[in-house]
Amino acid sequence: MESKTTDKSHSNLIYTIIFILLAVITGVEVFLSSPILQISRGLRNTFFILFSLGKAGLVAAFFMHLRSDSKFYTYIFLGPVIMLLIFAYVMVIS
Amino acid sequence: MSTESVELKQENNWKRYFTWNTDHKVIGVQYLVTAFAFFLIGGALAMLIRTELLQPGIDFMDGTIYNRVITNHGSIMIFLWIIPVLAGFANYMLPLMIGARDMAFPNLNALSFWLIPVGGLFVLLSFFIGAAETGWTAYVPLSIQAPDGQTIWAIGVILLGFSSIFGAINFVTTTFTMRTEGMGFLELPLFVWSMLATSLLILVATPVLTAGLILIAMDRVFGTIFFTVQAGGDPILWQNVFWFYSHPAVYIMILPGMGIISEVLPVFSRKPIFGYIAIALSSMAISVLGLTVWAHHMFTSGMSPALRVPFMITSMIIAVPTGIKIFSWLGTIWGGKLRFTPSMLFSLGFISMFLIGGITGVFQASVPFDLYVHDTYFIVGHLHFVLFGGSVFSVFSGFYYWFPKVTGREMNERLGKIQFALMFIGANLTYLPMFASGMLGMPRRVVDYAPELASLNLLTTIGAYILGTSVIVFFHNAATSWLRGPKATSNPWRALTLEWMTTSPPPIHNFEELPVVTSGPYEYGETPGASDTRQTLEVTGD
Amino acid sequence: MEKAMETMKAEGSHHEDHFRAGKALGLDHRKLGMWLFLSSEVMFFGGLLSTFLFYKVNNPSPSEVALLDVVLVGVNTFILLTSSFTVVLGLTAIQRNNVQGVMRFLGITMLLGAVFLAGQGYEFVKLYYEGMTLSSSVFASAFFTLTGFHGLHVFIGLIWAGLTIFKAYQGQYSAEEYGGVEIFGLYWHFVDIVWIVLFTLIYLV
Repeated sequence: MESKTTDKSHSNLIYTIIFILLAVITGVEVFLSSPILQISRGLRNTFFILFSLGKAGLVAAFFMHLRSDSKFYTYIFLGPVIMLLIFAYVMVIS
Repeated sequence: MSTESVELKQENNWKRYFTWNTDHKVIGVQYLVTAFAFFLIGGALAMLIRTELLQPGIDFMDGTIYNRVITNHGSIMIFLWIIPVLAGFANYMLPLMIGARDMAFPNLNALSFWLIPVGGLFVLLSFFIGAAETGWTAYVPLSIQAPDGQTIWAIGVILLGFSSIFGAINFVTTTFTMRTEGMGFLELPLFVWSMLATSLLILVATPVLTAGLILIAMDRVFGTIFFTVQAGGDPILWQNVFWFYSHPAVYIMILPGMGIISEVLPVFSRKPIFGYIAIALSSMAISVLGLTVWAHHMFTSGMSPALRVPFMITSMIIAVPTGIKIFSWLGTIWGGKLRFTPSMLFSLGFISMFLIGGITGVFQASVPFDLYVHDTYFIVGHLHFVLFGGSVFSVFSGFYYWFPKVTGREMNERLGKIQFALMFIGANLTYLPMFASGMLGMPRRVVDYAPELASLNLLTTIGAYILGTSVIVFFHNAATSWLRGPKATSNPWRALTLEWMTTSPPPIHNFEELPVVTSGPYEYGETPGASDTRQTLEVTGD
Repeated sequence: MEKAMETMKAEGSHHEDHFRAGKALGLDHRKLGMWLFLSSEVMFFGGLLSTFLFYKVNNPSPSEVALLDVVLVGVNTFILLTSSFTVVLGLTAIQRNNVQGVMRFLGITMLLGAVFLAGQGYEFVKLYYEGMTLSSSVFASAFFTLTGFHGLHVFIGLIWAGLTIFKAYQGQYSAEEYGGVEIFGLYWHFVDIVWIVLFTLIYLV
């Protein structure tokens, strides 16, 4: 694999860092889910949700290039996500 | 779209309409003809319904057959007539209006069309194996217990949903990436704005219905128990999923129509549109708000009572952008030099009828009122005023407007006016009495009714027969005009949007040279600029 | 202020850039189309996910929740994340004109995707033999439908990956023309993101 510019090998580095982050977070999640730990459900769930949003955000921002591309793609993606949150909430409490 | 295709002799034979063709103009015609065919089928079912309801008592349809007829009347009119016919206009006109040579994804466009007859075939086939009989709303658990045709119906609707979604992807991408030079977003014709607003709804709402129909299919075929009440299955879950799509669906059915009205009124008033930005932004507002009102269809379902209040509020708020449009249209025709062509008549009829439909909608948004009229003929009256008086009238307005462009021939104006008169009288006679019968307690979807309601139903049925007659007049006009009508010029209405700046019909590549836009789309009555060299653009001294 | 129109001298329509307006906005029409499609997929999974959450909250099935294998599926989640990583590596490879590289990385992606599906299949079979079936409870119905449709999307992704590798083999991609790889990548990453959310809401929370 030849790198034409330092720019490109630099970006592989970013992706690798992101990947390691994703792997570590996943590991932490599995560990946290273990019944051995004495953490309250609410606290545990908060972490899980934050972690999953973090992981999803990292994949979207870096692997899917949302961070470097036109902001419009981000709006197209986030709009339905927000709509979905509203719908899911109304559904569950109906 | 290379120079080779420019040099190819344009294949004008009818056979190409039966093939996989990627030209958006061919696809547009395919959509339009197919949709009108389904309009006839759905309309025939309506005639059956009104004939049965001419008098109290069971006349010639038992309850089960009646339920199948009303289910398919609704399903066909919504999924196989209105949504596709408006998509057909959009397919034909959108690229032309923005000065493009085709849509962004021509093959996806062809797929979008061909899903319509396939999906339609499923819906029609379901009649032969025990049709869907739950109403188009397919509430559970009835739709789980219904005969096999219900599954076929569900598959058909899923396929039609894909058609819609793929179309929306094409409309948005084309509008954003293929506008000709000089056409910024503030120079977009309002029909194009309306298609953007519609596409947003299609993309966000349709997939949820797809998911819901899959749940029903899973229960019916694979033994899941989503809607088995004894196991904890919840009918309200289906209603939420269904209406999350089906309320935006009504905006999907009206927004393009409103776009057509915004195109037609300036041309036949010889005046600029009043409030261009207001109309463009109100379309987007209706679209976004339209995603937040769905549970107003569920006020009597047993849903959590407190949750009804926010939905009442959002359902009332949505009247505001709608009202802004009505005032803008009135401002457009006010003081204009009106020309009462059939297209213009249908647009004016739209305004009056949609007004009635819209206002009765605001009544229904109020929870106490809706508790009283829900599932009565009041609702049926409301929905037909907005869908027939609104959407269908806009379709005819657009049809008379764009027929010369698509076919290169003119429709008969006298027959058009006769059709309008019959249709306007027929529609009002059919649907106005429904408000009364609904308030008197006549439930919807019933094959029989109390004798006191007989005269109201008689009026409605007579109105329906007048409507049926007007449709016959229309088809006669359309068919004979297409075959033998006088040839049309490139711009018979002296309009200013780009589709009129090419021949009727346009060449396969749409424009010989791509236009460059230097001003807005509705600047009628202004002095032509020095750079104007075309006779057809002269608009002063009308 | 008439709507005057000057016409461009057409040098033949094959010199036209049909997507000029998009480029002026920084939009590639294929990417825009894919993002619009993905937004509809968000809502599709959203519908199924909302159903699952409704039953998980209002009709919980703790005995069946206990059967879910967090560790196995956690490893599976890691595998899917790795497959997203290899897609990105494939993309940077073709951006450097490395056709062998993109084929290799997408091949690994396919392998990892297949392992993921195998793992999911194993989890399904295990649950089935432990008494959790499509009809054992509303929770189970929702579980299998939601994860099943995700699996279907992974499967479609595998076929798409294979097609992309084939096109690379045919020389259709290069450092100047790698859009097809990027578009496939968007789909695959999206399927990964869906799984991240599903894993959390089904197995963890």
